[in-house]
Amino acid sequence: MALPEVDGSGAKQTAPGPDKQAVAVARPSTGAGVREFAVRYGFIAITVGLFVFFAVSEESFRQPSTLFSMLKFASVVAVVGLGVTLTMVVGGLDLSVGSVAGMSVTISAMAMVFYAQVGGVAIAVVLLAGALVGALNALLIVVLRIPDLLATLASMFVIMGLKLVPVDGQSVSSGMVLRDGSVAPGRFTPDFLAIDRAFLGPVPLPVVIVGLLAVGTWFFLNRTRWGRLMYAVGANPEAARLAGVRVGRYRALAYVLSGVFAAIGGLILSSRIGQGDISAGNSLLLDAVAVALVGTSVLGLGRPNAWGTILGAVLIGILITGLTITGFPYYGQDIVKGIVLLLALLFSFTLSRRRSRYAPAAVI
Amino acid sequence: MSKTTLVTRGRATARAVAALLGSALLLAACSQDLGPSGSAAPPPETAAVGEATGQKPAPFDGAEPVKIAIVQNSGAGDYFQQWTNGARQQAQALGMEIQVYDAQADNARQATDMQTAIGSGVDAIIVDHGQSDTMCPLINDGLTAGLPVVIYDVEISACAPEAVETAQDDANLASLILDKMSEDIGPNQPVGYVNVLGIAPLDRRNAVWEQVRAQNAWDQKFFVGEFTNSVATDNAQLVDAALKANPGVAGIFAPYDELTKGTVSAVQQNNLQSQIKVYGVDISTADIEVMTAEGSPWVATATTDPNAIGAAVVRVTALELAEQLDSREVVFPGTLVTQDLLKQNGIQNLDQLRAKLPELNMTGVATADWIPVVSF
Repeated sequence: MALPEVDGSGAKQTAPGPDKQAVAVARPSTGAGVREFAVRYGFIAITVGLFVFFAVSEESFRQPSTLFSMLKFASVVAVVGLGVTLTMVVGGLDLSVGSVAGMSVTISAMAMVFYAQVGGVAIAVVLLAGALVGALNALLIVVLRIPDLLATLASMFVIMGLKLVPVDGQSVSSGMVLRDGSVAPGRFTPDFLAIDRAFLGPVPLPVVIVGLLAVGTWFFLNRTRWGRLMYAVGANPEAARLAGVRVGRYRALAYVLSGVFAAIGGLILSSRIGQGDISAGNSLLLDAVAVALVGTSVLGLGRPNAWGTILGAVLIGILITGLTITGFPYYGQDIVKGIVLLLALLFSFTLSRRRSRYAPAAVI
Repeated sequence: MSKTTLVTRGRATARAVAALLGSALLLAACSQDLGPSGSAAPPPETAAVGEATGQKPAPFDGAEPVKIAIVQNSGAGDYFQQWTNGARQQAQALGMEIQVYDAQADNARQATDMQTAIGSGVDAIIVDHGQSDTMCPLINDGLTAGLPVVIYDVEISACAPEAVETAQDDANLASLILDKMSEDIGPNQPVGYVNVLGIAPLDRRNAVWEQVRAQNAWDQKFFVGEFTNSVATDNAQLVDAALKANPGVAGIFAPYDELTKGTVSAVQQNNLQSQIKVYGVDISTADIEVMTAEGSPWVATATTDPNAIGAAVVRVTALELAEQLDSREVVFPGTLVTQDLLKQNGIQNLDQLRAKLPELNMTGVATADWIPVVSF
């Protein structure tokens, strides 16, 4: 699976690869084996272990419906995290995802409540808007050469404020009084509300959506030429350029996809809330970046990948649901989230013999 | 060579850090086992538990504890901390197990919390605040699953008529304080009004104001107010301007303590405290300080105790579980607190106020002889 171009990136890191290899070989093989195992499966083991721990200690955690509401809880972070993963693959980071998801909530509510459109139109408009923001980010980063973090930080603020302009800073709900004094004509349509509330067999629809997107992202990144070249661009843009890859196009594509994924996350949120809640999506950015980072350590890959991100989101879902059911206070939950992220980073940066291929510091 | 040593040392440090983190996690997991049903944080105000004389009805007579879940929109801040504390204490007194889901003001999370709660095997669910568009379908899901659902302060009577709706009695709060105001200043007086319409409880207080104002033939000189991130400061400016434009008002009604505080500081800025009386709603320890300060124009307020409300909501739930609740709507009455009472008794905080005004505990609201009522 490993790409030669990707391995070549080691050259720009501080400690050269061959040295590290030599160290590892000199060690007793059992120790190295244990560490290799820990790096490869440690995170999966932690996830499964936590699940078992909560399932044994808390009766209510064992209910199948709890499992599904947990996955449902994780679904929004997972979708948005997949978008972040794509931008991390090309060596960047999209900080605007949370505000794009929030914007999608407002836009979908406006389409249905202000303009009395059906769910399908709302979905189409939101996806287009997400792609548009992604394209603008790409313009800033690729054409105007602003570093990724800075460009998306700026667009994050602009979008957060911009979405409030057409709604006068108010949450959009059916029956609200508009600027001209009339009552809003539309409401959230049942087909739109079904995005979050419908089931496919026993499985909630948003979980199915995330599953499909995860398979799609994995296939795209690992099984297509485009995806592999995106990894190559992220590992060493200069080498990729010299090899004839049109680096700009791949980076642009990552940001457009990231915008669309964030918009899909926003659609699920909007359907869940049933209202154009202006505060929706506020906490998403940090959670999405965290799960994508956690994902880099899964299977010891040391690079952003689709399944890792999904597993990261599920792990956070298990933690939050489990801690809530056991009565852990909310401020403690953030501490635990942070510790889990740290552990994951230790796996992928410190303990892993392969060098991590995602180094955020290299972005700026 | 030196590079290799560095790398090795780095690894050792990393392992030490990992071990530390691991033990921290383990410790956290251990401390979980100490508390039986999610009482991780020590309750800030412990309650006195009253005597229960009656025979416990089903389902409270079994060996298995009755389990309830509270699905909160937000548990942060003084008000909600006290509310939750009251609910926990009352549940404990009744021998119930209680799970608290706190969505941290995230409406989407409250929706998934509600779903988890429905599937978690509890006997009843309390929904504390939230958006009715978000919560209504889920409340109906809970009712369909056969769970009693008790709502505090969510507008749901139209879409979920089977749920029990509870709220602070805003009309009662407003009448209490406005009766006091008419008694103090008398009819045919010029008055000021500070309120923000469009917020449900404030709208309900407004309805009473309109009525009392008409009855007393008060001349409303100004009506200002806005809801911002710093209500007190921003409204102080508005009231300041209104006072300069309309001299001579005898009293001002500001039916929410942040609005009241803003009004008080505007009156003091204009040095009018000897001529204008201010009437408010709500109280906190900080408010008591403002009311009892030398020459404060804030002469009276009407309020409820969040601890007592949390406890009363749990009692309503218990009555509903025992099938002893006749009505689908329960409101909690307010209590009048005057500046004179605070000053005469040297009251400086809420604990002292509760001791002086035991009716704040609402021990007679939503109760039965088998319920040990808590008071704070």
